[in-house]
Amino acid sequence: MSDATQTELAHANPLPVRARVWNRFVGIFRLSPTGAIGLFIILFFALLAIFSAWIMPHDPIAAYTDKVLHPPSAEFWFGTDGNGMDVFSRVIYGAKFGFGIAIPAVILSLVIGIPVGLIAGYRGGLLDEVLMRFVDGLRVFPSIILALAVVAATGQSLLNVILVLGVLDSPVFARVVRAEVLGLRSSNFVESAVAAGNPTWRILFVHLLPNAIQGAMAQTAVRAAWAVRISATLAFLGVGIQAPTPEWGAMIRQGAEYMVSGQWWVALYPGLALILLVFGLNLFGDGLQDLMDPRRRSAK
Amino acid sequence: MTFQRFLLRRALMVIPLMIGVVFITFMLVRIGGLDPVGRLAGPTATQAEFDSIRNNLGLDQPLWKQFSIYLGNVVRGDLGESWLSNRSVLTDIKERAVISLELLFWGVGIGALVGVPVGLRAAFRPNGRFDQFTRVLSLFGFSIPTYWLALVMIFVFFYLLGWSPPAIGRMSMLVSPPDMITGSYVIDGLLTARWDAAWSAASQLILPVICLAIVSAAPIIKQTRAIAIEVLSSDTVRYAHACGLPERNVRKLVLRNSAVPILTYIGTEVTGLVGTMSLIEYVFAWGGLGQYGLNAIISGDFTAVQGYVLVLAVFSVLVFIVIDFVVYLIEPRSELS
Amino acid sequence: MNFIKKTAAASLALVLATTGMAQAETMILASPQVPEGFDGDALKAHTQNVVTQVYENLIGYGKMEVDGHTVLDPNDLRGHLAESWTTSEDGKTWVFKLKEGVMSPFGNELSAEDVAWGWNKSFNQKRTGNFIARVSNVASVEALSKYEVQFNLSAPSAIFLSALTLYVPGIYDTTEVKKHITDADPWALEWMQSNTAGFGAYHLESLRPDDQAVFVANPNYFGDKPFYDKVIYKEIPSEASRVTLLKAGQIQWIDRPSIQKVVDMQADDSVKVERATSRSVAAARMNPSCDVFSDVRVRQAFNYGVDKDALNTAVFAGQADIAKSIVSPIIAGSNQDYFSYDYDPEKAKALLAEAGYPDGIKEPVELLYSDAFWHQEPVAIQVAGMLKKIGLNVVPTRITSSEMRARAAPAVQDMCFFTWEDGPIVLDAVYAMYLMTHSKGVSNRAKYENNDLDVLIDAGRQELDTDKRMSLMNEAQKLWGADAPWILVSYPATFEAMAPNVSGWVYYPDEHERWRELRGD
Repeated sequence: MSDATQTELAHANPLPVRARVWNRFVGIFRLSPTGAIGLFIILFFALLAIFSAWIMPHDPIAAYTDKVLHPPSAEFWFGTDGNGMDVFSRVIYGAKFGFGIAIPAVILSLVIGIPVGLIAGYRGGLLDEVLMRFVDGLRVFPSIILALAVVAATGQSLLNVILVLGVLDSPVFARVVRAEVLGLRSSNFVESAVAAGNPTWRILFVHLLPNAIQGAMAQTAVRAAWAVRISATLAFLGVGIQAPTPEWGAMIRQGAEYMVSGQWWVALYPGLALILLVFGLNLFGDGLQDLMDPRRRSAK
Repeated sequence: MTFQRFLLRRALMVIPLMIGVVFITFMLVRIGGLDPVGRLAGPTATQAEFDSIRNNLGLDQPLWKQFSIYLGNVVRGDLGESWLSNRSVLTDIKERAVISLELLFWGVGIGALVGVPVGLRAAFRPNGRFDQFTRVLSLFGFSIPTYWLALVMIFVFFYLLGWSPPAIGRMSMLVSPPDMITGSYVIDGLLTARWDAAWSAASQLILPVICLAIVSAAPIIKQTRAIAIEVLSSDTVRYAHACGLPERNVRKLVLRNSAVPILTYIGTEVTGLVGTMSLIEYVFAWGGLGQYGLNAIISGDFTAVQGYVLVLAVFSVLVFIVIDFVVYLIEPRSELS
Repeated sequence: MNFIKKTAAASLALVLATTGMAQAETMILASPQVPEGFDGDALKAHTQNVVTQVYENLIGYGKMEVDGHTVLDPNDLRGHLAESWTTSEDGKTWVFKLKEGVMSPFGNELSAEDVAWGWNKSFNQKRTGNFIARVSNVASVEALSKYEVQFNLSAPSAIFLSALTLYVPGIYDTTEVKKHITDADPWALEWMQSNTAGFGAYHLESLRPDDQAVFVANPNYFGDKPFYDKVIYKEIPSEASRVTLLKAGQIQWIDRPSIQKVVDMQADDSVKVERATSRSVAAARMNPSCDVFSDVRVRQAFNYGVDKDALNTAVFAGQADIAKSIVSPIIAGSNQDYFSYDYDPEKAKALLAEAGYPDGIKEPVELLYSDAFWHQEPVAIQVAGMLKKIGLNVVPTRITSSEMRARAAPAVQDMCFFTWEDGPIVLDAVYAMYLMTHSKGVSNRAKYENNDLDVLIDAGRQELDTDKRMSLMNEAQKLWGADAPWILVSYPATFEAMAPNVSGWVYYPDEHERWRELRGD
């Protein structure tokens, strides 16, 4: 049966939204073991970030001036970097940055993208055209370069990185929500809401939002993965986060110099941590998309 | 649709897009403050240079006037002068474009050549072991930071194994570059019978190309699989199955029907891959457009950044147009948005 | 490594076979960056490295042997572009007779007009060249005849002749340069951003920013023909790559390696490392015109809060000498007694409390660094870490070296706290103090103004009697030490790394090798 009919049937079902979402989460574990693994990885890093103070054997920015560039040993499990700081502790602390940047950035993207998508999809017309043209215009720029240029232009601070990532990623959510709204716009329950005299904002946020939001929610984990990746790339290039902050990208930046002369540990471990977290987010996001996006489910 | 209609449609869509793109690069240097003269002139500029830039770009005039001046400049090919290199940005970019194109061609080419068949194979046996393995592998490929991969590859293949030459650009220091014909050391070396140059350039290419190929392949695999699966469950294919068409022919049918969306997808991926390639160029000191652009951004050479970003966008649009054209050739009936 | 050696050997063999045995000697030099400009008065990144090769001077130093090394003899000043000179009774008028037949790559002959023009250019630009003119009391320069040029000094100067060995004010081939003058640009500064025209041994042939600059030997050079016909100044941003190339024999010289790479290379036979004690000082400078540093007690506290020994170990692998004076010990008159700020965090806290910061400084204080010198970043990070422990919220912040140079210029000087390295290119205590601590010193960079100190230094500039000069500079170092405007870190030793077959390197006070003296056989 076609998508529109399916959605209509679902909306005719009196089950409240929350229960449906919970069912989906339970479904994740059963239908997508990879998604579950992803979730597990994310939780692992979240625990690292939260309990870092108890787990770290050394202060992440304490410089052991006589033990610069020591290979992994019993005292320094991942060795020390060019400033004599413990790589293991810095990798653990770096998890904070992963979440600390990705979560606010994704939230910002949602906060900007969802309303924009709702309005553009519902209103249509000139506003929709202009917005979509603008978003299309942005798509011809490589996202890394755009993010890099804007952060370099606005000033190099953590806050700016979050702001820029949040803004640049919002078109993704806007587009997804807009597509959903376009589909829902002419459905029965919306028409009856309009007929009942509901003001536009109520229609948008009370009626449309809970139903249009699924696609956006499914994307959050994947966009979070992107945010973590890009912020590390920015730090690697020396833009945004400064030494000696224990951020993974910045650590790889320093380690790059030593990689070619054999001190591999400085860049390897932060890179592995980065890969693992992004991988976990991607796995989880993939599982989430499979389950929440009806079209993909039917493809299985 | 006829060829003329096709061209007309393309032109009508591209022109406003290009104006929008120029507008975005125009605004890029005006973020966080509408007077860009400091950024464009650089920290080493004298008062005279400030004034001349102010004059040339009409920075004391209203914004729309500034934009029309900028647009006029761009159309004439004047992208300004970089304060870092003291040369025209267009010249700097022209010299490096071919260098990056070469890397992009090989990297994405190999990534696609590997990625598409793998994605297809995964699609034909969905949820089988190969499919699961491929999905995880490609997700993994999504998660690897490109620059880190480049560093690790240099460490393993150069430092540990000694198989690859040092990552210092396109050519070994001991070999002098061949005469310039196309700008690609490999091709020029072959064309001028400078086998040493061609060999050196080719061996320097291997590692960055593999790096780019790995990173390109991941999304291509994933999307090819998704597209093929959709095609497999489409009415056409189901009908073919129902008619009892042999498996081989069904596969050919799937291939034919997937070709267009896959090609289109690769075209859109190129935009992002250009950005990734810049990072690879940076790590390998490749001397191409990507490294130039990254350096410009990092050093705050905003005139160059404007030119660089604009050229990238123009390139993306060109790629879209070319893909559209190829699709039109394959499938004249299809209406693409 | 095998791959490289095989390719190198094969390529070399192929090249030799195809081009024949009689070939140009080329030296490839790897550096973090291609020079950003070629005007000695307006130093940009790596300008100094190359103008010293292209523009030569009236006077040069002779050489002597010390402990098996060839070094410059500071007491042996001899004519280079000048044939001879005379001086007036009062020491205020000097007339130099130029050598005849000194030709530039453009085929023009050196004349007194060239010398006068170069000095006038420096006077006009009011930057490095002007500073050197001032420090040596030169008031004006005029051409008397084709080969005679006269210097008029405002007062006798003990360092005038030494100043004439410097790369700036430069001596340009004005016949060529004047072709590029415009009304808006009467000194051809625009043209000099990417061109050279001098009488030196080398000449800029081609320039490709962020790739390489190619220099060729001046075919008309008046001196001995240099061994290297061509020098390629190649940009390789990664230091690790530069070292790799040197070890692989693909290049012959790398520019000022960092200490970790030096330690690594000293153990490697495929690389030759030369060392000299430096005349320059690495430090973190505080700008007293910024509120937080206006109180001398705060500046002293910052000094007490930094463990210089630990810094030396961490950043310089213990190989540098801890600095206790702004004047390097290789310069006569250096006194290492007056900067006695040993590591004492308690004292630092006490001083901070006295100055009104009993709980330290919570407002972030930026400690700026760039990539101009390899030690800037690690020093900034270590210093910030140490100061954090006594409650000072110091934040290391990176800016580009172009920006740092621009903000350090005499007319700007708006950085409050930053790391940098400076040193006198004339090995003279008065010159050193004037350069870095005088309010008009071109390497002051941090708006330090102390009238009493200025008086002492100015007196030293006029004084010809050596003992009196030394005692004046002693006083000056004492005064400066008490004022503690810098956190002195160390005298980083100067290292140069080259291929094992390269010889002829001599330490110059400006820390740049002279390509014309190098040999590759």
